[in-house]
Amino acid sequence: MDDVTSKIWVFVEQRRGRIADVGLEILGKALSLAPAAGWKVAAVLLGHGITSMAERLLEYGADEVLVADEKLLEDYCGGTYVAVLERAVLRAKPEVLLIGATAMGTDLAPRLAARLRTGLSAHSIDLELDSKGELIAVIPWSGGDYLGRISCPKSRPQMATINPGIFEIPEKREPRGCIKEMDCAVSAGDHSYRIVEFYQESVAGSSLASAEVIVAGGYGIGKKEDWHYVEELASLLNGAVGSTRPPVDEGWVEHDRMIGQSGRTVYPKLYIGVGISGHMHHIVGIKKADLTIAINQDPDAAVFDHCNVGLVGDFREIIPALIEELKNK
Amino acid sequence: MQIIVCIKPVPDPKYLSRVSLDETTKTLVRENVPTVINPLDKNALEAALSLRERFGGEITVISMAPESCIPVLREALAMGGDRLLVLSDTRFAGSDTLATASIIAAAIQKTGAFDLIICGNETADSGTSQVSPQLAEFLGVPNIMHVSAIEVSDDGVFRIKSRIEAGYVIAELSAPMVLSVIKELNEPRYITLMNILDAEAKDVRVLSADDMILKEPWVGLSGSPTQIVELAAPEKRAKAEILAGDARRQARALADRLYRMGFYHG
Amino acid sequence: MDFKLTERDILLQRSIREFAEKEIPPRMDTMEETGEFPLDLLKGLADMGILGVITPKEYGGAGLGHLARILVLEQLGRVSPAMPMALQVHHMCTYALTNFGSEEQKKKYLPPLSKGEELGVVAVTEPSGGSDVAGMKTTARREGDTFILNGRKCFITNAHVSNTWIVPAMTGEGRKGMSAFIVEKNFTGAKTGHVEDKVGLRGANTGELVFQDCEVPAENLIGGEGNGMAVALGTIGNCGRPGMACVGLGILNAVIEEAVKFATERELYGKPISNLQAIQWYITEIFSDLEIARLLAYRAGWMLDNNIPADTACTLAKQWICEAAARSARKAVEIHGSYGILKEYPIQRLMRDALVAIPAGGTAEIAKLVLSRVAIKEYQK
Repeated sequence: MDDVTSKIWVFVEQRRGRIADVGLEILGKALSLAPAAGWKVAAVLLGHGITSMAERLLEYGADEVLVADEKLLEDYCGGTYVAVLERAVLRAKPEVLLIGATAMGTDLAPRLAARLRTGLSAHSIDLELDSKGELIAVIPWSGGDYLGRISCPKSRPQMATINPGIFEIPEKREPRGCIKEMDCAVSAGDHSYRIVEFYQESVAGSSLASAEVIVAGGYGIGKKEDWHYVEELASLLNGAVGSTRPPVDEGWVEHDRMIGQSGRTVYPKLYIGVGISGHMHHIVGIKKADLTIAINQDPDAAVFDHCNVGLVGDFREIIPALIEELKNK
Repeated sequence: MQIIVCIKPVPDPKYLSRVSLDETTKTLVRENVPTVINPLDKNALEAALSLRERFGGEITVISMAPESCIPVLREALAMGGDRLLVLSDTRFAGSDTLATASIIAAAIQKTGAFDLIICGNETADSGTSQVSPQLAEFLGVPNIMHVSAIEVSDDGVFRIKSRIEAGYVIAELSAPMVLSVIKELNEPRYITLMNILDAEAKDVRVLSADDMILKEPWVGLSGSPTQIVELAAPEKRAKAEILAGDARRQARALADRLYRMGFYHG
Repeated sequence: MDFKLTERDILLQRSIREFAEKEIPPRMDTMEETGEFPLDLLKGLADMGILGVITPKEYGGAGLGHLARILVLEQLGRVSPAMPMALQVHHMCTYALTNFGSEEQKKKYLPPLSKGEELGVVAVTEPSGGSDVAGMKTTARREGDTFILNGRKCFITNAHVSNTWIVPAMTGEGRKGMSAFIVEKNFTGAKTGHVEDKVGLRGANTGELVFQDCEVPAENLIGGEGNGMAVALGTIGNCGRPGMACVGLGILNAVIEEAVKFATERELYGKPISNLQAIQWYITEIFSDLEIARLLAYRAGWMLDNNIPADTACTLAKQWICEAAARSARKAVEIHGSYGILKEYPIQRLMRDALVAIPAGGTAEIAKLVLSRVAIKEYQK
């Protein structure tokens, strides 16, 4: 560990052998930021039996891959992961530590930041690094309607969690880095809970991530019985169904359909938002869409400030008419 | 079972659109926006109430907030909390999550032993989800985020189900611990007229910085490791082109466009 | 004078509002279609303390006052005006029992009325009309320990959904010839009659009560023999009229929300119609009606809570607010233009509700007659 030279560390999350995309996305961003400060980038990987994953990370351009491979690290547990990372950080003193804002990352990062007594910016949607190595994290504020630029001037490492889907996964390249072992000793006291059951669908949210067309519904849909309007239009356009937070909370649609600050960022060619008011926590997730269209009753809805084309009216009239007109083509 | 529930007064999320940015001070103006208890904190309180119904014990509700928020916070007592502790001091102003967590931890260390601390997973305003795991760190107890189910066996083992991407994990552990709960966990109960009357006799105490032993320098704006450099409205796309006419005409115009651009293949 | 609501009042408003917004809307379509009170909500209303809001704690109620009752009914009425209609009549029954009942009667009848086991009613109006209370035709004839009741009561809210009826009947001649009885639905000779098919307040049941040689034990005489007029008028004046004021107040709350929603969403000449002065004036008039209505209703409740004679305040509140509700609903219909007459817009229902509220619990004309007597007596030199 004493020979670790990277000053930007990216925690790459894996569960049961599957690397979370967000880890690769941040790795790509870190690699593009690092030259400004003349730094190198390390990917940090914890788990058990993870050698092949470590090698894959080299293909994504990491200068170093720091590995902690240990049976007690097989399942994520805040206590063990924080203990291993704390020790590594105190020894190698990275300047920046970036973590995906996933279920795991939002559990791990705050606790690690508190252990290290350093600052943490939450749910960042952009990162900047200057030549002096000062990190600025751009985070959604007040439900996402405003953006805050947050720095961490006095303490190190400068930590941030980054929303999934914001940055692109880098192209694979010829590996140039090397794998280094972290001290992975874990005490029983660190192992603060035992995972007794684990379930994860095999294709988590992939349809949204790769969809060319997305039809998303918001709270304006009003009730579960009307959600089918969104689904029918999506199906006609061979697209995926997306959602803002309230329909998920109301149980109209599954959690993995959520787009935005606490969901994911999407890159469709066409996005149609139905009954969506246009709060920034959703809008941040659709900024990369090519063509955005909104259907809303309220001509003053904020969503029209963020879309290319707007239709003002009742979606219960517009969508059936749209489906009929398309079918007549 | 001694349970602590942490709550936060936030601008009512129903009125988020009334929040505006003061361009000169670069701060958010929240006038005309009613203050409410953060919605997920009510799920946290509901979880505590159902545990108290089964195991007995007491629920202490803690909030770091200006004293002017006490009328709003009192709702937590009407819902069933046994006492309310408000951490209020001008020195606390501007605290970031680390500072907030260290202040709440100091207050909890003063109030005594606990089995369980329950928080909402995130707040409707800043939404960082950071205070609860940091609180657990300062108190040296385990924490679990995104909690969607809580089961307790008769011998005191907690089985905690938490959401992960497209799935869940179930962990087993023993008290004490900090749990951050999501909406899926439960439906907060209504506050009845009788509850409102009962709550009036309950104990409300205000603690200032002098009432607790703050071991850490992390208090207030100056003690916060993160600093806000700037706050701004995000850039907007050009205002949308609004299609003209009734539902049928707008639908026809859009259908033409989508068809021309190749989004519909029949 | 202190116009500030207490912390308790504000919390009460907020919690009832939350309950109303969650529980009532899913039932409203059925209420409109069937004209029936949603009995499946009774337990929820009881648990919230709404049924027993003015019933003393020792009889299972919340033990709150009249202003609290008004705030509760206003919040329910904002979502569905039929709710305060049904509940205010139920409250009249609890009011009569609390204020005129014997200890035994209170112990027997009040707890079930608070717990949601049943609804109550005070049944005064007869086919010959409700305004002329003294012209009542229903009779009660004493036979030993039993009174035998004969007659009909009509336009009775909760007739078919209640078990406990407070029924005034003639036991003799003149003002002192009236007595009031607690009649249980299952007493021999007690029946429900016709169900009315109203144009508004459809979620509140209205119908007839029929007494054919109905046998009522003498112990169910309430307020003493010959005191029926005091029971009836006291209950109507102090509980029924402020209750009806709440129906109108609820309507006004809903009317302003619908009017503002439509006026700010509907565009004409590229701008919301709320930019047009004609619409702005309507909005101001509706807003004024709502604000004045609140003042009148809250003042009546406050006077009752402070034991200040409130007959005039209650009559004025009922009469003025229900008329204001009707005229404001009509203005809101006009703001809606042609949409105002479509059933999918709530404003037409509010207009129908307001029409039904005007004669309920005493016509506007009778109220004005009473008020004019007060005014002339007060200001004649």
